[in-house]
Amino acid sequence: MALIQAENLTKVYGTGDTAVVALDHVNLTVNPGEFVAVMGPSGCGKSTLLHLLGGLDRPSEGNVSIDGQPLAKMSDDALSQLRRRKIGYVFQFFNLIPILSSVENASLPLLLDGANSAKTKQRAIEWLTKVGLEQRLASRPDQLSAGQQQRVAIARALVTDPVLVLADEPTGNLDTKSADEIAALLKQVAKTWGRSVLMVTHDPRIAAYADRIVFLKDGKIVNETHLANGGAREPDGRKVSPATALAV
Amino acid sequence: MSVRHAVLGLLAQRPRHGYELRAAFQALVGGAENWDIKPAQIYTTLARLAQGGLVIEDSVEQDAGPEKRIYALTPVGRQALQAWFAGSIEPEHQHDEFFLKLMIGLVSGVADPYHLIHAQRANLFQELHDITEQRSQADPSRELAGMLLLDKAIMHLEADLRWLDTIEARLDEIRRQPLPEPETKPRGRPKKVWGLVG
Repeated sequence: MALIQAENLTKVYGTGDTAVVALDHVNLTVNPGEFVAVMGPSGCGKSTLLHLLGGLDRPSEGNVSIDGQPLAKMSDDALSQLRRRKIGYVFQFFNLIPILSSVENASLPLLLDGANSAKTKQRAIEWLTKVGLEQRLASRPDQLSAGQQQRVAIARALVTDPVLVLADEPTGNLDTKSADEIAALLKQVAKTWGRSVLMVTHDPRIAAYADRIVFLKDGKIVNETHLANGGAREPDGRKVSPATALAV
Repeated sequence: MSVRHAVLGLLAQRPRHGYELRAAFQALVGGAENWDIKPAQIYTTLARLAQGGLVIEDSVEQDAGPEKRIYALTPVGRQALQAWFAGSIEPEHQHDEFFLKLMIGLVSGVADPYHLIHAQRANLFQELHDITEQRSQADPSRELAGMLLLDKAIMHLEADLRWLDTIEARLDEIRRQPLPEPETKPRGRPKKVWGLVG
C-alpha cells in the first residue's frame, strides 16, 4: 500500500479574478521507504504540495491519505496528532531552539506529545547517535556547524518514529560538502530506516540522491524520472539505456 | 585528443610496453568506465610516435607469453610533451549533440522538443545519480585524484541540467522565432545601384 496517496490535489488561493492556482490536480503516490525529490522553478507549487501532504494546510479540492488515513475527514485535533506522530519535518533553516542542547532539541516532539522525560531523552540520544552526533549531545546549536545542526533536526524529525519525513530545501543553507552528507543521510533515512522521504529541492545534485524525481511546473507534475540504483550498468560496465528509466 | 601526450608523459616517467601504458592511463583517469582506450589505440599511437621519432623501441621483454616491446621517450618526444604543457587547452563548448538534436527536432518536426528535453533530463539525472553514488563510495584518503574527476563530471552535469531548465522555460519563445537559416548569397554579378553612380 502506498504511504502517501494524493489524488487531484488542488489548491487555489484567493477567489474570483484574483484567484491563483498554486496546485492543479496533482496525483502523487509515494511508497514506504521511497525517497522522492520534488523539483521545479520557484512558485511552481513545491511548498504548497509539501504543506498539503504534511497536513499543514487543507486542499481546495482532492484528497491526501497518509498511511491509509484520509486527511480530509480528520478533525483539526486528529490532524495535528497525525502530524506529530506520523510525520517528521526538516526545514532549510533547521528551526532549532538556540538555548537547548542537541538532546533537548531532538526530544522536543516527544515532550510536546506528553512522553515521560527519561524515555524521551533515551530516544533522542539513540537517534542523535544514529545520525553521527554522539560526540555533540550536550552542544547548543551555536556550538555546532550548519551540517551538524541539520543532523540534529533530522534526529528530531525521526524521534517520534514517523512513517514519513518531509524536507523543505534541507540543504539550501549548507555548503556543498555538508549538503552531500545531509542528502546521503536522508537517503539512509529511507533505505536503512525504511521511512518515506519527500524532499523539495532546487539543487539537481541533491535531487540525484533520490529514487524518483518529480518535476512541478505551474502547479502540475510535468515530468517524472525514476533513477535506477547501482545496477544501472550492463555487465561490461556500460550504462543501461536511460530510456528504460524514463517515465512521462 | 590527448592520448598521444598522455603516452609521451607516461614514457617520460619511465620506459614501458603498450599494455602497461594502457593500465597506467586508466589508473590515472579513475578506471575504464571513466575513459576507456582500446589496446589498438595505444599501439597505433605508439607506432605513429615511433615513426615520427618521438619514441623509440628500447628493448624487448620476453617471459612466458608473447614478446613485449618496451618504448622510451626520445629528446624530440620530450620537446613535444613540453610544447603540450606550454600550450593551453581549448574548452569544448559549442559541439553539443543535445543542442543539435533539439534544433533538428525543431526544424524537422520529427520529434517533440519537450519530450527531447524530458528524456535528456532523465538521462542526465541518472548519470548524476550514478556518479554521486560512485563518489560517495570512493575513499578520499586513497582515491582523491579520481574523486576530482568525478567532481568535474558532477559540476558539468549540474550545469547541463540547469541549461535544460533554461531551454524548457524559453522553448515556446524559441519556437516563435524564425529558426536560423543559412544566409543566401546572391548569385552572378551584383546589381548596379544607380544612386551611387558618379
